[in-house]
Formats: sequence, C-alpha cells, structure tokens
Amino acid sequence: MRKIEGRSLGQIAWMRLKRDKVAIVGFVVIVLLILMAILAPLIVKAIGHPPNEFNQDLIDTQGGTLAPLGRFGGMSWDHPFGVEPVNGRDLMSRVIYGSRISLLIAFFATLLSVTIGTVMGIVSGFFGGWVDALISRLMDVFLAFPLLVFAIALAGVIPDDAFGLQGDSLRIVLLIFIIGFFNWPYIGRIVRGQTISLREREFVDAARSLGARRPYILFTELLPNLVAPILVYSTLLIPTNILFEAALSFLGVGVRAPTATWGGMLSDAVTFYTMPHFMLWPGLAIFITVLAFNLFGDGLRDALDPRSR
Amino acid sequence: MPDTVITYIIRRLVAAIGLLVIVSAVTFSIFYLVPRWAGATPETLATRYVGRAATEDTVKLTAERLGLYDPIAVQYWNWAKGVVVGAEYDYGAGVERCPAPCLGYSFITKQPVWPELLDRIPVTLSLAAGASVLWLALGVAIGVLSALRRGSIFDRAAMTVALAGVSLPIFFTGLISLAFFSYQLGWTVPGGTFVKITDNPIKWAQALTLPWITLAFLFSAQYARLTRAGMLETMNEDFIRTARAKGLPERTVVVQHGLRGALTPIVTIFGLDVGLLLGGAVLTEKTFSLPGLGKYAVDGIVANDLPKILGVTLVAAVFIVLANLIVDLLYAVVDPRVRAK
Amino acid sequence: MSSTFTTSGSDKKGCTTTMSIKRLRTVAALSAVVALALSACGGGGGNDNGTAAGGAKNEFNAGLAAVVNPSDKKGGTIKMGHSDTWDSLDPGETYYGYAWNFARLYGRSLLMFKPAPGKAANEVVPDLAEGLGVPTDGGKTWTYKIRKGVKFDDGTEVKAKDVKYAVLRSTDKETFPNGPAYFEAFLNLPAGYKGPYKSKGVNTDSAISTPDDYTIVFHLKNGFGGFDYLAQLPQTMPVPEAKDTGARYRNTIVSSGPYKFANLQPDKSFELVRNDKWDQATDPNRKALPDKYQVSLKVNADDIDNRVISGDLDIDVSGTGVQPASLSKVLTDPALKAQADNASLARLWYTSINPTVPPFNNIECRKAIQYGMNKASYQTAYGGPFSGGDLATTLMPPLVPGYEKFDLYPAGPDSKGDQAKAKEALTACGQPNGFTTNMAYRSDRPREKATAEAFQQALKPIGINLTLKGYPSGDYFSQYAGNPPFVVANKIGLATNGWGADWNDGFGFLSQIVDSRVIRPTGGSSNTSVRIPDVDKMLDAAIAETDTAKREKLWAPIDKRVMEEAVIYPGVYAKSLLLRPKNLSNVFISEAFNMYDYLSLGVK
Repeated sequence: MRKIEGRSLGQIAWMRLKRDKVAIVGFVVIVLLILMAILAPLIVKAIGHPPNEFNQDLIDTQGGTLAPLGRFGGMSWDHPFGVEPVNGRDLMSRVIYGSRISLLIAFFATLLSVTIGTVMGIVSGFFGGWVDALISRLMDVFLAFPLLVFAIALAGVIPDDAFGLQGDSLRIVLLIFIIGFFNWPYIGRIVRGQTISLREREFVDAARSLGARRPYILFTELLPNLVAPILVYSTLLIPTNILFEAALSFLGVGVRAPTATWGGMLSDAVTFYTMPHFMLWPGLAIFITVLAFNLFGDGLRDALDPRSR
Repeated sequence: MPDTVITYIIRRLVAAIGLLVIVSAVTFSIFYLVPRWAGATPETLATRYVGRAATEDTVKLTAERLGLYDPIAVQYWNWAKGVVVGAEYDYGAGVERCPAPCLGYSFITKQPVWPELLDRIPVTLSLAAGASVLWLALGVAIGVLSALRRGSIFDRAAMTVALAGVSLPIFFTGLISLAFFSYQLGWTVPGGTFVKITDNPIKWAQALTLPWITLAFLFSAQYARLTRAGMLETMNEDFIRTARAKGLPERTVVVQHGLRGALTPIVTIFGLDVGLLLGGAVLTEKTFSLPGLGKYAVDGIVANDLPKILGVTLVAAVFIVLANLIVDLLYAVVDPRVRAK
Repeated sequence: MSSTFTTSGSDKKGCTTTMSIKRLRTVAALSAVVALALSACGGGGGNDNGTAAGGAKNEFNAGLAAVVNPSDKKGGTIKMGHSDTWDSLDPGETYYGYAWNFARLYGRSLLMFKPAPGKAANEVVPDLAEGLGVPTDGGKTWTYKIRKGVKFDDGTEVKAKDVKYAVLRSTDKETFPNGPAYFEAFLNLPAGYKGPYKSKGVNTDSAISTPDDYTIVFHLKNGFGGFDYLAQLPQTMPVPEAKDTGARYRNTIVSSGPYKFANLQPDKSFELVRNDKWDQATDPNRKALPDKYQVSLKVNADDIDNRVISGDLDIDVSGTGVQPASLSKVLTDPALKAQADNASLARLWYTSINPTVPPFNNIECRKAIQYGMNKASYQTAYGGPFSGGDLATTLMPPLVPGYEKFDLYPAGPDSKGDQAKAKEALTACGQPNGFTTNMAYRSDRPREKATAEAFQQALKPIGINLTLKGYPSGDYFSQYAGNPPFVVANKIGLATNGWGADWNDGFGFLSQIVDSRVIRPTGGSSNTSVRIPDVDKMLDAAIAETDTAKREKLWAPIDKRVMEEAVIYPGVYAKSLLLRPKNLSNVFISEAFNMYDYLSLGVK
C-alpha cells in the first residue's frame, strides 16, 4: 500500500469501501436477495408449496373464523412463516416470490430515472441559457405534482391490455414507467448542479480552449466525473423505488392477483390486523431489503466522497 | 432593498401561477386522453355516472351536462374559468351560483368540491403540523448530539436506528402500531375519528397521536442524518475555529454558529417535505383512515370522479409551490447572495 | 383501490356488493338451516313479539325470530356509525337496503314492510296510505287513499300531489342517477317525459292522477300484480314541490316521519331529532322511542366493530356484518357470540359464465366449470359459513318466496367439485386437455379477488387455465364485465357477480339478472350471460299473473331453466354476522331488510 500515487479514484474508493463492514454486510444481503429472486422457482420447489397454491385444509373453515389453524398463524416446519388466512397460501414462498417483482421494478425504474435524469441534467447544465431554463421549469412542474396521487391515478386508468402487452408483464412495464418517469427530476437536479460546477472548472476550460468540440467535452471530460455521484444516487434511489412500488401495490394499483408482491401482501393483511404474523413477514422483507440498499449506498457515498463521513 | 424583494416575490408568484396552470392542464389531459386511448366515448364515460337503469337518453343528457362532448380545450377552459370567476350549476330544480374558487361539482355525489376540500384541509394540516414539529425537534436534537459525540455509542446507536427508520414504510409501521397500541392495548383512538382542534383539543390530539409519532419516526430519522452530516461539515469550518479561539463558550459555538450553518439545508428540505405532506399524505391517511386530502384523492380516483381529482391535485400543487416559495424567500432574507442574483 | 381497508362496501339493493360468504359442510346442514328459516316463518306470522313480556334471551341468533329487550321506554340517543358515505338521503334516489330501512324514520311512503321480527316483516302494510292498493283494469290501475292529518315538519299537510311530485321527480335519472327505475318502466308517462324539472308543465295525468287531495291513482302501461311492492319504495315518500332543491334536496330534506334532520354535514355526520308535527294518531307502525339518532359517516370499519363491542356505538348502520378481523374475535368468544345474529340475505354471490366467449359457446364447457369448481372454496373466499353464506345450487336464495331446492351439478360429498364429471364434460366439449380463458373480478373487493383466485386453483387440475383480470368496481358493469362487446373482445369467460333482491319476491330477484332484454349493448347491466328466449317468455307470463300464490310457483321453473343452460355458477346465498346493540331495546332482524329494524329500536 505504499504506491498511493498510482491509484485511481475508483481504487481508492474500493479500498475505503472494503474497510466499511456495515456497507459490506449490506452488499452481501443485496447479493443474497438478488440470488433469491433469480432462484425463486428452485427454492420454492424445494419448499414444496407453490406461492399461489391454496391450503384450505389448514384454515378454520368449520368454525367460520377463517384464521389459520394452530398457533402463530399456522407456523410449522412445513410452513415456516405460517399461512395466509382464508386461502391458506404459504407465506414463505409468497415472500420469496415477492422479491422478484420488487427488485425487478426497482432496478429498471431506477435505470430509467437515472438515464432520463442524467441526460436532462447534463444537457441543462452544460448548455445553459434557454435550454437550462426550459428543463429547469420542467423539473419544477414534475416536482410540483403530488406524485403518489398521480401514480395511483395513472396506474388505475390504464386498461388490462395495452401496448401489445397484457397481464403481469404489462403491469410491470407500467410500474417501471410510472416510478421511473416521475422520479427523474431528483437525479436530474443533482447532475445539473454537478455539471455546472464541473463546467466552470479548469480542465473543461482547458479542453475548450484547445478547440475540443462540445460532444467530445461532454463524453470525455464530464461524464467520467459524473459517474461517482450518479452511482451513489442510483444506489440510494433503488430503496426509494422499492418503497414506491410497495406503496403502489399496497394501494391496490400494482401487479394483479394472484402474483405475490410485498406491498400487496401487506394490503391483504390490513383486514386481518388481529393476525400480526400476516403483516410481519412482508413488512420485514421490505425493511431488510431497503435497509441493505441504504447501508450499501451510504458506504458507497462515504467511500467516494469521504467528506460526507 | 425592499424593492428587489418585492419584484422577486412578484416574479416568483407569476411563475407559481404558471406552474399551477400547467399542473392542472396536464392532470386534465391525462384523465381526458388516457380513457379515450382505451376506446372510451363520451357516452361510455357518462355511463359511469348514471346508475344501472339509465336509458340512452339519460346517458346523452348526462354526457352533455358534464360537458363530455366538448373538445378538451373547451372543457379545461370551463373548469379553469370556474376556478377564477366562479360558475353556475344546474341542480335540477334550479340554478345555483358556485362562487370562485369553484372547483366544480362531484360527478357522483353532486356536492361542490371546494367546501369538501376546505373540510379536509384541517385534517391534513393538523397531521403535517404536529408531525413536523415532532420530527424537526427530535431529528435536529439527535443529529446535533450525534455530531458532537461522533463515534460514540450514542452516535452509532442513533444512526443505526435512524437508518432503520428511513427503511421502514409508513404503511408497515403504521399498521403494526395500530394493531398493537390501538386495537390490542387501547391506548390511542384508531383513526376515522378526527375532531377539529377548535371543537375539542384533547380529542384532536388523541386521534392524531399515533399518526404523528409514526410519521415523525420516519422523518426524524432522515433529519437526524442530515443534521449530523451538516453539523460535521460546519464544525470543521474556519469560522468555528475562530469562534472557539475567541474563547466563546462551547454551547454558544455549537448553537449560534455550528447549528445555524447546518440548518440552512435542513430548512430547504423541511419546506419541501411539509409541502409534499400537505399535498397528500396518501399513505398515512389511508393507513390511519384519516379523512384528509390524500384519502379524498384516492376516493376520487377510485370513483373516477374527475372534479375531485382535479381539485385535490390543484390544492396539493398550491401547497408544494407555496412551500417552495417560502423556502426561497427565507433564503433571500437569510442569504443576501440569492437576492443579488 | 379504496376498499383495501374495509372488506365491503354497503349492501346495495339490487346492485352487487362485496360481502362475505358462509359455508356449510354438508347438504344435511344446509337443509337444517332451511328448516330453521321455515320454522321462523311459522313462528312470525301471528304473534306480535314487540309487546310480549320478556322477549328473547340474549343468545346467538336471538334476534332472528324474536324481539330482544322489548320495551316501550321513550327517550335517549341511538348512535350509529357507517364506514362509508350515505348513498343518498334523498328518498327519490336512495337505493341501499340500510338506507331504505332508515328512511322510514324521516319519511312516510304509501306502504311499508311491517316492522316485525322474522318472516312477518315480508308483509306489506299501509303507511301514508289508509290501505293497500286497489287494482282495477287487470292490474293496470292502482288506487291509494292517503291518510288525513299527516304533516310535513313545516306544518303543512301532506296531500296526494306531494306523493305524485315525489314519484315524478324520481324518474329524472339525469338528476337522480342511482335510484330505482321501476316507476318510469311501469307508469304510462307521456312519451319523452324527462321529469318535472326538464319537462315543466307537461300533463302527467296519464301516469298519475290525483282526483282529490287524498286519492292518488297510478296508471300503468301493462298489468303488474306486484305494484304494492313499488308503493313501499321510499320514492313514494312525499316531497313538497316548493321546497324541492333537486340534486341538493339530499341536504335539505323535508320530513314527514317522526324525526327530522339536524346538523347535517354531508359525508360526515347528521342527526335526527323529533319532528313535533308528527302525530302518533296517524301512524300505526312507528313507536318513535328514542329522542335522537346520531349518525357518523366515514368511520373506520374496524373501529366501528370495536366500538359496537364496547358499547360506545350502538350499531353499524350499513348492516353488512362484522369485518374479517372481528369475525374470529366474535366467533371464538362465547360472550360476544351471544351478542351476535347471523342473518340470511336474499342475495346470491355468483359467477357469470359467458356463452359469447368460446369455448363457452358449447354448453359442455360451461358444465365443466359447474362440476370442476370447488364450491367449498367459493364459500371460504367469501368469508366462510357465518359472514359469507350458505352453499348455493340455485339462483333464488331460500328467503325468496317460491324458492325451490334443486342441484343440477352436484359438487361431490365434500362440496369440493366433481373432477370426473368435469373431465367428462370437457371431453364432450371437444377440449379434453382443457383450455385457457379469462376471469374478471372487482379488484377493490378482497372477497371477489379471493373468489377469482379460488376458481384459478380449482380449475387448474382439469386443465382450465384462468388469467385473472381485476377491474375497478365503479366501472365494472358499464365498461368491463357488463359491457357485451368488451366481454367478447377481451375473452372474459367468467366474471364474478352478485345480486340481491330489491324486495323478497321472484320478480325483484330474477328480472334484472336473467332477462336477456335488460342487456344493453353499451354496457351497464348485471346480466352478462343469460340470453335464453324461453326464460324471457316465462318471465313475462309470471309478471302478468295477478294471483300471488300462482305467481310464486312460476319462479322456480325459470331458475331451473337458467341452471340447465349452465350460464351462471351459483356461489353462496349471502349471510352476515351482525353485532346486536347492547344498550338498545326492541332489537330484532327484519327479514325485509336482513338487518336490525331501525324503526323499532329504543334505548334501554
């Protein structure tokens, strides 16, 4: 570790990140969650209870309460998280399957926001003048919308078959679009600010005075310097989007039944508030996932920008 | 230089009004255009509002009364005109004057929207006011303490809890606390029983305690983190060192110099958060069944009640724009550099 | 989206709403319930339990056939809660059972259902009128005499013209879209008549004439034996023309009953206080015991349950039964269970099988659904045997006079469906390996969602794969499941549905769901799947029959004919678990409304 001068910014950040135990824990959890989501069909096969399978023999239908039989929401070796009231679906496999929707939507929505936000931010910050004024006003408009209200409204009016898609795939694309499209101004403002401050720095001036063309400056000089903040805010945007997706599903405008989502499970659990096990598992799943991303995102920010520590 | 401040305010107000026009126009277009893309005609739209037993005639009359045959620009113009100068409403047995700001009449219940909104604003306002006071006090206090004792057990514990706090969705913490404190232990009254502060302050506070705490938990976590970061930054600045070197007591250094510097970004975010919250604490109101603006909006959306949705969007946007304006004005007052620009 | 919290909206008359369903395990148990209902019928006929000393004991189902806590004590306040808004307080537009039940407190219709426990409540008795309608001209003309000395709350006397005006204004469906539409369908109104607001000055004597201040005559287009049922609708409650405010009248109602409105805050709360112009001498039906009624709207549904249990609130006015969370609380606590009544409703939760969507154009494929579905899971999805209902095999619920029990598609000994028969039907249909189709449900109704999921699970083993499609309930019939072109274009093979009788009668129950002529090409009808010419003819014959006993015998064959075509899968006959008010007197379930009778309650 002597040859400090030979290291790039990325290497330095990586060194710092490696030392941040908490961030590493977050990272490991994220990797595990992603693996769980990808391997969900295999895991659930091993458990032996498909997420949509009814087990009404585990439900008190005779007494009429429709609660799971047995204590703690029907928890057993066979159903470690217990089962849902009414139809007796296995909660564990539903929580596992729920991770797929959550992560898929959050990742792609983030990608969309970051792409739009970065392009708009750079264009706005780099060109300035009326372009900047226009884009800035556009961001103001977006930020002035009651976002959630708007998202519910939009998700509610789109029919079940549209744009050549239907069912779950349509809903997923729709949710990615809504979440991603309305979130871009946040990242857009950050990128714009960074671009403006970078624009005034010496190295861009230097490039310009050397006769470099605008696109060249954009891609070779600005973009590399924007990578770090974009990376940090992307990591921190993912958990926000997970919460957003969960909120939409909770409000009943997410992916359709019977597909399992965490927000949807919580929404189902509301009417059964006397059976806390029902709301506990999906709630914990959201919590752990969001926490992991926040921990990692924090660590990443500290690593890339030690002043914030 | 009061002149510059006044022109600044006027300029901002004009911009704000323009923003509101755009927001309402976009909302209008979306609810007008999306169903039509999906193949709806004025008649099928009117079918929503005529009950099951309607004849073709009734459907046509209803579509006419709601103005569904008009082009979108005309429909929007009529609505906007109502907001500015008021409108007249035919309630069957006669015509009624709906004074400005007339946000129209519900397609379903035929009640005027504006008085209904006025009725719900106090709920959302009470929710936001109580919660924001709580989270600001709590968040800033924890943030400052954490920053001062950086690295201590308190700092670590507080920051861990704060991180957990921002990672919890309100509809989860809200539900768990409702199930536990309200239904199990009976400590607080569950929602839906909002009482105006002017009617009975004790009941008012009782009904809101749980939503306040839940909401404040979520937000104070964020504010604690922000305050801590801000404090750490300012406490390293030169003027703090100067202040210390002058021999000022530590308390004065921290509060008068350190905190003041750290608070500027907090004020910005606070303004925006309160604005957003007033614009519709949809999840909180839904979770605790508080009859506020957010719940009103959701009800309107479910029932396809366009005047309700438009009304709530407009009011929400007004709150957000106002909050932005106030924040910027505070800046202008505090920081002369902004004024000069 | 809205009803993620409360399971159900209210129980709309005629229209379909979420409620719950109950299930019975064996056919034997089912017949036991029928027997119970019949004995209740026998017991309710002659006796007037209202004044009997002692009354029923406080035990489970005590309020079904007898009066609990009988008393004549006056005074006190009854506190009611509602998890939603009132559909409309305007008697011309209201269309919910609870609202009709309640409207009798502030308005007097020509006739009313007798406020008595059990089956006796199905009897129509005079209210504002002196006697039942007198039919002439083969049931085409119906004459009512109005009582003298009945007054509005402003002291003016109620005249025949006020009733006429009330009925006429209710036909303006542009102003009152949600009200029942029987009068405009039956009355001989002038062509193009659009109600008194839009057709000002039009002579309407061809439909309703008032020869003197106390006589009102209804003139119908065709003979209708059951017109007395229409005369009990709140739409006949008098409205003084001078004080009518159209769509606003719901906030400014002029009372003709023992109570009038006070402190009315739309969508929030209102009170009823004594109307001192009401005269007990003109009213044989009302006791008017309490001094005041307080109604709070938009209260959290679970909160209502808890407050009724604690006694802080007296009654859940919507009368739809407890929430799922309270269900286990009430059923597992003997003390609470003794404080509950399990009421049967004249309501069927069912699923339409659309023959317009292949392969359901083949009757065998429809039969495959009838046999393949797990009926027990339908019941569980709808809320189980107490808050859901009893397993159904016919369209008409046992509460409807003329009901006949039959089962064309036995679901096996444990009611879980008959897979062998289902596979046979599939083979006969030419789809031995099954097929794929779509099922619509109302996405904001948890119970319908659970039902759709139950269908998906039950039909998978026989190779029928369902894609579930949730639609908002506000547009469900107008745009989606009740819109014929949409159904065909989107291949909606199955659609959850439900129907409750506007009053307990075969016409009130069947006409809107099996008559093919109510299907509108632009959508909006609850009937989406029944297009049987035979059935239309049978209905016409039954409606024209003026002899009640003969008419009642004509409904069951219609029911059977529809089931033969297998275009409707009957799920459950609805039931609800109601919490009996602790602190009130004269508590009993009215079979006309299938909830507590709000007219008779008093404070202990």
